Amino acid sequence: MDDDLPTDFQVIVVGTGMVESIVAAACSRIGKNVLHLDSSDHYGGLWASYNFDGLQKFIKEVNSDPKRQLQVYNLAEKWYIEKASAEESKAEGEEKPEDGKGEPAKKVWTQDSFAAEYRKFNIDMTPKLLFSRGPLVELLISSNIARYAEFRCVTRVLTWLSDKLMPVPCSRADVFATEAVGIVEKRQLMKMLTSIVGYNEEEMNNEFKDWNDKTFKEYLTHKGLTPNLIHYVLSAIAGGTNSMPCLEGVKECKKFLMSLGRYGNTPFLWPMYGSGELPQCFCRLCAVFGGVYCLNRPIDKVQTKTADDGKTVVTIDSKSKTLNCDHLVIGINECPKDLISPEPAESCDISKAVFITNGSIMKSDKEPLTLLRFPPLTDEDNAVTVLEVGPATGSCPKGLFVVYFITNKVKDAESDLMPIAEKIFDMSGGDQTADTEKPKCLWSLFYNVKDTSAPVASTVDSVHVCSGPDAGLDFDRAVEQAEQIFKKICPGQEFLPRAPDPEEIVFEDDVTHGPEFQREDEDAEGDAPKE
Amino acid sequence: MHGRVKVRTTEEEKARKEKERQEKLKIFKHAMQKIFHKRKESELDKELLELTGKVLSSNPDIYTLWNIRREILIIFAKTYESEELSQLYDAELNLTEYCLKINPKSYCAWHQREWVLTTRTDPNWEIELGLCSKYLKFDERNFHTWDYRRFVVSQCKPPLKDEFDFTTEKLLDNFSNYSAWHYRSKMLVELFPDLEGGRPIEDSHHKHELKMVQSAAFTDPDDTSAWFYQRWLLGAVRMDVQVVVYVMTPSKTTVAFSKPVDQSVVDSRTRLFHNNELLNGEWQSCSGNHYDVLWIFKSNAVVSEEVKLEFQMEDGHLQALPSIKMNETKYVGKSSISFKRKYSKPVVEELNNQLESCRQLLAMEPDNKWTLLTTTVFLHCIDAKKYHKEVLENLRTLKVIDKLRAGYYSDLITQWSVEDQLVTDYATDSLDYKIKFDEKIISLPHFQYYSHCENVDLSNQDLDSSVLPALVMLQHCKTLSLENNKLTTLNKFPQLNIEELNLRGNKRLLVEEVEQFKKNNKNCTIIF
Repeated sequence: MDDDLPTDFQVIVVGTGMVESIVAAACSRIGKNVLHLDSSDHYGGLWASYNFDGLQKFIKEVNSDPKRQLQVYNLAEKWYIEKASAEESKAEGEEKPEDGKGEPAKKVWTQDSFAAEYRKFNIDMTPKLLFSRGPLVELLISSNIARYAEFRCVTRVLTWLSDKLMPVPCSRADVFATEAVGIVEKRQLMKMLTSIVGYNEEEMNNEFKDWNDKTFKEYLTHKGLTPNLIHYVLSAIAGGTNSMPCLEGVKECKKFLMSLGRYGNTPFLWPMYGSGELPQCFCRLCAVFGGVYCLNRPIDKVQTKTADDGKTVVTIDSKSKTLNCDHLVIGINECPKDLISPEPAESCDISKAVFITNGSIMKSDKEPLTLLRFPPLTDEDNAVTVLEVGPATGSCPKGLFVVYFITNKVKDAESDLMPIAEKIFDMSGGDQTADTEKPKCLWSLFYNVKDTSAPVASTVDSVHVCSGPDAGLDFDRAVEQAEQIFKKICPGQEFLPRAPDPEEIVFEDDVTHGPEFQREDEDAEGDAPKE
Repeated sequence: MHGRVKVRTTEEEKARKEKERQEKLKIFKHAMQKIFHKRKESELDKELLELTGKVLSSNPDIYTLWNIRREILIIFAKTYESEELSQLYDAELNLTEYCLKINPKSYCAWHQREWVLTTRTDPNWEIELGLCSKYLKFDERNFHTWDYRRFVVSQCKPPLKDEFDFTTEKLLDNFSNYSAWHYRSKMLVELFPDLEGGRPIEDSHHKHELKMVQSAAFTDPDDTSAWFYQRWLLGAVRMDVQVVVYVMTPSKTTVAFSKPVDQSVVDSRTRLFHNNELLNGEWQSCSGNHYDVLWIFKSNAVVSEEVKLEFQMEDGHLQALPSIKMNETKYVGKSSISFKRKYSKPVVEELNNQLESCRQLLAMEPDNKWTLLTTTVFLHCIDAKKYHKEVLENLRTLKVIDKLRAGYYSDLITQWSVEDQLVTDYATDSLDYKIKFDEKIISLPHFQYYSHCENVDLSNQDLDSSVLPALVMLQHCKTLSLENNKLTTLNKFPQLNIEELNLRGNKRLLVEEVEQFKKNNKNCTIIF
């Protein structure tokens, strides 16, 4: 079987993470001959989505393999529900239609019922949002890869203020509708937001010339915003903390605001079936343009040699076969240490958690899709990004929500994130049908991920190392890095030009159009030119 | 290169599109020809229905084809069984819905739908209401859909509260929506009329709406829809028509009303008495319009004693107005007037609250046009007399910071200054009118209030020739000064019995025109 695989490629990509997949698609799209490998049996690497069964396998794998614990560690899974229900047979698996406001009796979940519906889960290792006008959305549109993906709008942005969850008025409609801010505050808030969006470069330089070394909070205070408004703008919209530098805050605000009003009421999109879908969309385009895919294909050794014509060729040993290529694109976690130069500096790792709950953190008429930026609880803590996705996103069965926590590590995932979980969930287990204010946490997983997001150079010019996921909210850094790598491999070439739609493609004997033939048959089909 | 996809070049693509277009045109022309031929031959049958349907489904705006379809359906209605007919109507509705998908602003498709529903005997209005909601979800500002919704609602009469809530929902999505605000205003007066005070809207709701609209206005002051609704709300006070002044002389009797009224109101509700005896005569509008503020009473009666006027007001009250004998033959009756808007106490409280917010904002951004204008309107609405000076000052500032609307602000200055003076003038028995404030007026608002005056001094103002028709109110005027104004022509000068007219200082008035005017008005001394 192995013999079928050709041995010479222009580009070999190892690892199917986000950056690797974009580079693979871009190279294939302009006609490069691409081989794309992954050592595991699924796409995405650390960017993958798992169903509940796949996730269990992942946990087992990591816990049993010390090598993998270099990437993922402190893995702690916990159940808050029974293994099996006492009165098993009755309500099991029976889905009650959710009809409007009248809430159906809450289902009692067991570990077994999770297992029974394991395929309805899509749990992300690297959950991320897309800014509606961010680089990834623009790239998906301009490259026509968007047709491989589906998205849902994030319906609300929440914040934690005065010890409770509060919706953040971020769009015009929100500001109008909210009763949380006074009339004068509404004007102040809108004025601040519109001016940040509206500043051109000159006005920017003028307005912020004395703010280089000051914080965004100082700026907002200087502008006379009330403490509430400062909280909304700084923590929820800019996603910053008290120490956020002014110019960075302005930049983040602008990014947020520019993405408003394109698709929904918030600036964000969430990929259906999880973030792990996105690398696969790029892989699909790569394959459509002739890229060859091989999963379950670990590599053993990477070497370089000089060919007869003086060109450097990278050779890869994999399953007792030697593959040759002009360029190797390789995910940092797959990359042999000796190819990385210099060793990346010790960076702050990422603390993550996933929770499965039996209700939303804040009730809403329609199923919500929530971004909550949880401000630091103390000065030593970091802000925590919370994403809550429901069944409509294809992330979990009806009646459940999946909630992700992401922050920069201080101590370890559980100590970093548990205090916040306790604020918004009921972590006590117990009767699921009880009408509690906070949703019950049914299952949780805490883990730390090594931060491999810093760009690293390789010792060989024709080897390109791709970073791992960062703790950020969006994919922007991955897109940026992928484009840089592509430009190195294919200087002067267009990055992911628009892929044609099927009807634009000319086939060998494209003489007669089907529809035309039909039309001549049907007398006087009323299909006149439309203006 | 191996495996590369070949894509059409733009040239090829263009040629292909052009070919397709030509093809479509051929089919279209053929179909239209056939349709007109069949109609000429009176073949109003199912085939024609099908043909027109096919053309319409890609060109929904050919109204002739819709007309033909109606012709056919009317004929079918005479012979078909009700079940089959019902199916035909359903098919028609499906066609319009399909067409509306292509062009949601197609006048004829919406109209066809309305026709089907009013023609068939078994309309399903619920489906229609659902359709409106669906289309308003696609485009919440499509006024065609709003219009159609009003039609549907007028037929199926759903609870008004539901409709009111629907506007709330739409406004929360996007408050830049004139249609939704307008519809809301209609619901509001129906749903929450004030039963006690005779105001248009019940207090608590008036207050609620004021709050809501202010929220919109403060969120985005540059969006005008909310401001217009706010103006409507502030103006939502009942101002009943009343008689403001009447004059009786042997040669002429006039009655001035606070608002324009039509002939029937004057005929049936206004009565003049002489020595408690009802006078008979005929009413004639002063300007010759159907609605007018000043009416002339033609009668043969010779007046020498006590004169009285009675006017039946809209709310049923009788306005009785005695007169004062000004000289041997002239009787004048004046009512007490006020331009103060009578808001209820809770609404005034709310207005004061909102004024307070406005003032706070103004302290932060003194040059914001909308904040300043709203503050000014609030001041005027709360107590025009008390805040008169501040109001004028604000309007003068507005003229500077919002130059494009300087004329509008000048007009407000004129109107509110005139109103301010009017109240004082009406407290005296003088027959003279002279502008007593520093601002120069540019128009003649409430001019009928001065219809009794004999000496009118409008000198040193900014009046141009567009005000001349309004002078027709001066039915009893003897001397009129328009000295130092901006008249350019006397073209529209009305027919009056003035003894002395001063036109000096109107620099752009042509000498020839004034000479001609003198010739035509021999009884009048003209100073120029």
